[in-house]
Amino acid sequence: MRPDELMREAKEMGAPYDLVCLVAQTGKLPVPNFAAGGIATPADAALMMQLGAESVFVGSGIFKSEDPPARARAIVEATTHYNDPDILARVTEELGEAMPGLDIATLDRGALLQQRGM
Amino acid sequence: MGVKRSMKLIGVLALQGDFAAHQRALDRLGVASRQVRNLRDLEGISGLILPGGESTTLLKLLDSSGLKEAIVDFHRQGHPLFGTCAGLILLSRQVLNPEQPSLGLIDVTTMRNAYGRQKESFETTGEANFGEDPSLPMVFIRAPRIVRLGESVTPLASYQGECVMAGQDKVLVATFHPEMTDDTRVHRYFLDMTSNGSLSSS
Repeated sequence: MRPDELMREAKEMGAPYDLVCLVAQTGKLPVPNFAAGGIATPADAALMMQLGAESVFVGSGIFKSEDPPARARAIVEATTHYNDPDILARVTEELGEAMPGLDIATLDRGALLQQRGM
Repeated sequence: MGVKRSMKLIGVLALQGDFAAHQRALDRLGVASRQVRNLRDLEGISGLILPGGESTTLLKLLDSSGLKEAIVDFHRQGHPLFGTCAGLILLSRQVLNPEQPSLGLIDVTTMRNAYGRQKESFETTGEANFGEDPSLPMVFIRAPRIVRLGESVTPLASYQGECVMAGQDKVLVATFHPEMTDDTRVHRYFLDMTSNGSLSSS
């Protein structure tokens, strides 16, 4: 984009012009992108890295799985070797069950943060 | 010299840490680089950079990938190594705070987190003992300190009178992050080690 177009974009986004120029030039923000939320498998972590994240943050995905130590090790390996399908396949073996998904419709009313519109 | 440099391929250990910043520093010098994650990535490179990161995590990943022994072999074959921050911790003979295993390829004792926690990170200007201009910008991020320097280790830069960059044979280490500044002299110093290495080993 031309400088005047970048200036217009910066105005529309309400973002600093220098930062918009930098992102246009480098294709990314000048800070690491941490991916978090809902990551439950080594493949999830690898996908985040393939999409451009610099780091992956996993909490429940490990601690609510069947075998947390094994899954933690596997997710670390998958984050490092995110572009190596052989390693991804190997570390994914024998991990037990992943964190179960939760359907919002089945949650108790008491577990909901707000109940407007119900 | 310029032609030789542009043909050189430098490996950057990419298990974890700021390997991308080292690659950008090498880009600025017009030097090709390759991310090293497994044994076959070591083939055909002239030198290896061990970046900053979290040294305990790096150690675990070095073990699981088999790269720990392979890097020792790579060094034994006469190839230069360059460790910054956590990379220095990995290369040290001895590590304190806490004690942990290391590759032991340079005769120094290194203390982890020696300036304090993350918020004690800082940017400053130190003194280089190499080249013509002693003024060298330095970025210290939760940095270690070299608390003992072996007799055959050469101090190459200092900050407040303490050695923060050193070399021994084919191993170069720095407690700070030259890859986080625009100054390319430290990386050029390492590249010169790879040139000398290929001359003497061929």
